[in-house]
Amino acid sequence: MKDFDLIKHQKKFFIISAVIILIGIVFYFINGVNLDVQFSGGTRILIETNGEIDAPKAEAVVEQAIGKSATAQTQKTNNPSEESKTIYMLRLDIASSETLTDEELNTVINTVTENFDVKEGGNVEVVSVEPSIGQETLGNGLKATLIASVLIILYVTWRFSSMHGFAASITALVALVHDILVVFTMYTVFQLPLGEVFISAILTIIGYSLNDTIIIYDRIRENSKLMKKSTLDEIVNTSIKQSLTRTVNTAATTLLTVATLYIFAAVNNISSLMEFALPLMVGFIAGVYSTVFIASQLWLMWRKSTMRRNLKSA
Amino acid sequence: MRKNSVWKLFVVILVIAVFAFLAGNELKKDNVRTGIDIRGGVSAILEPDIAEGSLTDEEITKGLQSAKVILDKRLESRQIYDKSVTIDAVNKRITVEIPWAPGETNFNPQETISELGKTALLTFQEVDTDKIDAKGDFLPTGRIVLQGTQVKDANPGRDPKTNEWVVLLDLDPSGSEAFAEATGRLVGQYIAIFMDDEFISAPRVSQRIEGGSAVITGQADAVEAGQLASTIRSGSLPFRLVATKVDSISPQLGQGAMNVAVTAGIVGFILVCLFMLILYRLPGLLADIGLFALAVLTILSVAWTGISITLPGIGGIILAVGMGVDANCVIFERIKEELRDGKTLRASVDQGFHRAFAAVVDSNVTTMITAVVLYALGSGPIKGFAMTLAIGVAISFVTAVTATKIMLQSVTSVEIAKNKWLYGVK
Repeated sequence: MKDFDLIKHQKKFFIISAVIILIGIVFYFINGVNLDVQFSGGTRILIETNGEIDAPKAEAVVEQAIGKSATAQTQKTNNPSEESKTIYMLRLDIASSETLTDEELNTVINTVTENFDVKEGGNVEVVSVEPSIGQETLGNGLKATLIASVLIILYVTWRFSSMHGFAASITALVALVHDILVVFTMYTVFQLPLGEVFISAILTIIGYSLNDTIIIYDRIRENSKLMKKSTLDEIVNTSIKQSLTRTVNTAATTLLTVATLYIFAAVNNISSLMEFALPLMVGFIAGVYSTVFIASQLWLMWRKSTMRRNLKSA
Repeated sequence: MRKNSVWKLFVVILVIAVFAFLAGNELKKDNVRTGIDIRGGVSAILEPDIAEGSLTDEEITKGLQSAKVILDKRLESRQIYDKSVTIDAVNKRITVEIPWAPGETNFNPQETISELGKTALLTFQEVDTDKIDAKGDFLPTGRIVLQGTQVKDANPGRDPKTNEWVVLLDLDPSGSEAFAEATGRLVGQYIAIFMDDEFISAPRVSQRIEGGSAVITGQADAVEAGQLASTIRSGSLPFRLVATKVDSISPQLGQGAMNVAVTAGIVGFILVCLFMLILYRLPGLLADIGLFALAVLTILSVAWTGISITLPGIGGIILAVGMGVDANCVIFERIKEELRDGKTLRASVDQGFHRAFAAVVDSNVTTMITAVVLYALGSGPIKGFAMTLAIGVAISFVTAVTATKIMLQSVTSVEIAKNKWLYGVK
């Protein structure tokens, strides 16, 4: 790699990211987001069945029938005194901010009746459910994230003071926001249900991306001391180049694990685990991309503009 | 020349083997708890136990909302993060869903659920010496000296004199004042402590107690004291909730979710190990041993702390394993760089670890900061994620850095292990 010069292409990297994020925003305004029942609340439909039925299949069938995100579970009421009187129910939680119309309700019940062994004359119950992940959980989560960000800014500013830590910490956080937005794009474009699975995925991605950025910044920090005579451009280029093998190896190993999970989930038709593994893969790639092409480059721009200003004022 | 220290390698492997044996035991006993999303659990409908017409609809709705917050807290104080507490505003009731306890498949969860529905109103009451029940315990008189709402904090502890388990209460200003006044007035008499009218203990007042602290004695062990303390901390419900229906439910993630997650986990783990072995040869093999230790210790800590593995938890574990692998990649690449610079093997290994150390520490510390803050302030799935992440990162630092370092330094003292090919360098 003779002419390993990322700085030359800086603008292209920013444009690629901006386009992806813009697509996400556009789709957000067209489609909105598909909130899962844990966030939006919705309607719970209980249908009595003969024996236990295939819940994931029911989920898929119902989602297709009414075009709303659903969670299916089977439920069983044991009567300890009489084993034969066990009551089996299919439980469908359908996400919606408004109550389902009668028409939608009938569609769901008819679809289930057509496809599964529903008990004739059995019990059907419809109730409303409030969000289980309410305002409080989200508010707490947001507060926690803000406080964690401030602490990370303080820590990175202190530890990376030799490479102007404040610039380093802010650009690292920008990279995190970038990764979240990229994953968000995936959710708005493919209308994946936004629920507890999303929270798990996003938190994992944030951690991964932060780790990745810190490792590269460490190299820049070290090279800033070793390469006193070089320009900032050279330092950043060299640092990224030196850690390239590690970046590729780590990314490949983690992607391998998550891809394994995705494949197993896909083969066994577990949509929820697919919905977890897919954003992780996208997020991990975004995390590596943002470290090399966004965080490091932004840091470089920041430093150069500060130096220019200092020169002028001097 | 370094002394032959190959014995260190065997010590590390022996230690890992012991942990592996322990972990295997925990798995056999089914002590690793998996969450409601993966394994299913119990769903109960709780209805407020109030007299018809005693509260308006609005009051009930408000009561249910504050009940949800308290139920969430109560469950979290028992390490159950994967629960869902939802309000059914139309039918005026609450649905609580909790995972099976470890080892349970088809038990009667009535006990846990009815425990949960208790109002948990703590009261300190004056007693009438002639009002006692068959067991000789005092009956509640309704002359309340102090109640749960006046308690700022409650913690389990031990009485230094009797060595008995107690719950230490920290009272708020109004509580301290009331308690000081009452203890001053009732010197030589008893004050009985009740939880929902259930008698707990009745200490005799020996002197006026100032300073805003009170003690509940008579706890059988640490567990009982801890549970009582956490129940008091969580606050009391506006009304008693009774379970009207208890069902078992299948996993939210789908019936086969657990098998798929476990199989994918094992296959993914093997793939990562192979990958590390091919990429880094001898150090890769040692990193694999470290990864095995990480897996074993994660299983043990999950079993011992009693937390349950949920999807957010799996996210935390994936991240911890990823960071462990990354730490190894960073270190081994550094060693290769040093070797290419023509340094000796021993110097390269030492330098590699030394120069990679700052990077690994910084990335682990930032992750730990995130995990601790999310644990302290988050709730529900966020807390579950933070818990496994914190545990995982702490373990992965030890296995990927410390254990691998000892093993690698020990191996490089052996003559046959000095071939540079083994380190991926020509």
